[in-house]
Amino acid sequence: MTAFAAILRKDLRLELRSGESTVALLAISLLILVVMVFALDASRARGAEAAAGALWVALVFSGMLGATRAFLAERDNHCIRGLLLSPIEPSTLYAAKLAAAFTFMAIAEIGSVILMVLFFNLNFDFTLVRVVPTLALGTLGFAALATLLAAISNRTRMGDLLLPILAVPMFVPALIAGVKASSFALGGAPESAIAQWLKILVAFDVLFVSAGYLLFDYVARED
Amino acid sequence: MAAPVVETHALGKTFGQHHALRDVEMRVLPGRAIFVVGANGAGKSTLLRILAGLSAPTAGHALIFGLDSRRLSARYRRRIGMVAHQSYLYPNLTARENLEFYAELYALPDPRETAVRWLERVGLERFADRRVRALSRGMEQRLAAARAMLAEPGLLLLDEPFASLDGEAVRIIMSLMRDAVARGASIVAGMHVVPEIEDLEFEVFDLARATLTRRPPTRDGGDAGRIARLRSLLGR
Repeated sequence: MTAFAAILRKDLRLELRSGESTVALLAISLLILVVMVFALDASRARGAEAAAGALWVALVFSGMLGATRAFLAERDNHCIRGLLLSPIEPSTLYAAKLAAAFTFMAIAEIGSVILMVLFFNLNFDFTLVRVVPTLALGTLGFAALATLLAAISNRTRMGDLLLPILAVPMFVPALIAGVKASSFALGGAPESAIAQWLKILVAFDVLFVSAGYLLFDYVARED
Repeated sequence: MAAPVVETHALGKTFGQHHALRDVEMRVLPGRAIFVVGANGAGKSTLLRILAGLSAPTAGHALIFGLDSRRLSARYRRRIGMVAHQSYLYPNLTARENLEFYAELYALPDPRETAVRWLERVGLERFADRRVRALSRGMEQRLAAARAMLAEPGLLLLDEPFASLDGEAVRIIMSLMRDAVARGASIVAGMHVVPEIEDLEFEVFDLARATLTRRPPTRDGGDAGRIARLRSLLGR
């Protein structure tokens, strides 16, 4: 637990010091939402469905950036080797990196939700609270997947290109579930309608958090 | 006889068609120092990375504390300290924060006090709150040595530990190496040339064309021995 807290605290301290990830994540979320507002039909762009779609596109792209950034600090001076050499379990390292990526993404999502409400003419009311479980589960799933893949891509020369190519197709089941659950939540649908999609997100999270926990040692180490 | 800290059998490493290491046989006992001497690209760094468990051999195996270097548990990894070409230090953290972070990873008591103590040992106490990115290469190397030795490891793997260091810094690192051997730690160090270290017994291996060969000990201790004796005659 000490090592987990130490790595997470170090990542957050580095981020607070530079602010690079949060600013980049917020900027990309803003750009995506602006593009989506203009790209979608004016009448449709006011609906919960369009807002949910735009929000999840922003989540996917900011998530990729967040996971990459969480590993970028370890690339400097080959710090990842210092971590792998230290007496911490690889699963602890994975959990700390996942927590860091989740935190960066969550901060960006708070900004994205505010922008979504403004751009898509929604109201700041209780419906936003109903989206929180969906977003939290989606963020956890994407962070789990992207952290695992970032550890692989971090070792390759074409890593920055490899991450989106691998992550986006693998995230499709959770993306569909997330968009559906979010549009139901924003549109005021009953809880039961949201719950069935949340189950898919939970299953996705369990699958990729477990995979990351078990496989991180193999993917992070060099050949 | 004590069990070897490092033991390799027919160790090999290839990168595509290129043989970086071939049939490396090595045995290091507790409290012994071995210097692996070779030119740039001879395979010293590769050998040290394999011994640290950071890289896998493509042939043979390396045993560290009697265990396969790729399967070392946390308990055994904490007994290895490594100084590599890269410092493994975070450029945007200060010198003290870096050491504190590693002290926490190694679950050392009072990480802050430990960090301060090691900063003093490597003569960087005045630069404790300076970010690593603002340190000179030599200072960063000293800090990397402190990072590697924080937990007083039983095996020190040093890759060109004297590179970029001035005379004072070289003396500090030599003193740390002597202290480590005195408390029973083993050292495997990769170097370009055999250094001149007083009060430290060491064996020399040459690494050339991917092959490691033991240099026969000279009766007068080689260049290092001759210089040490000359110094003592001159009263230095």
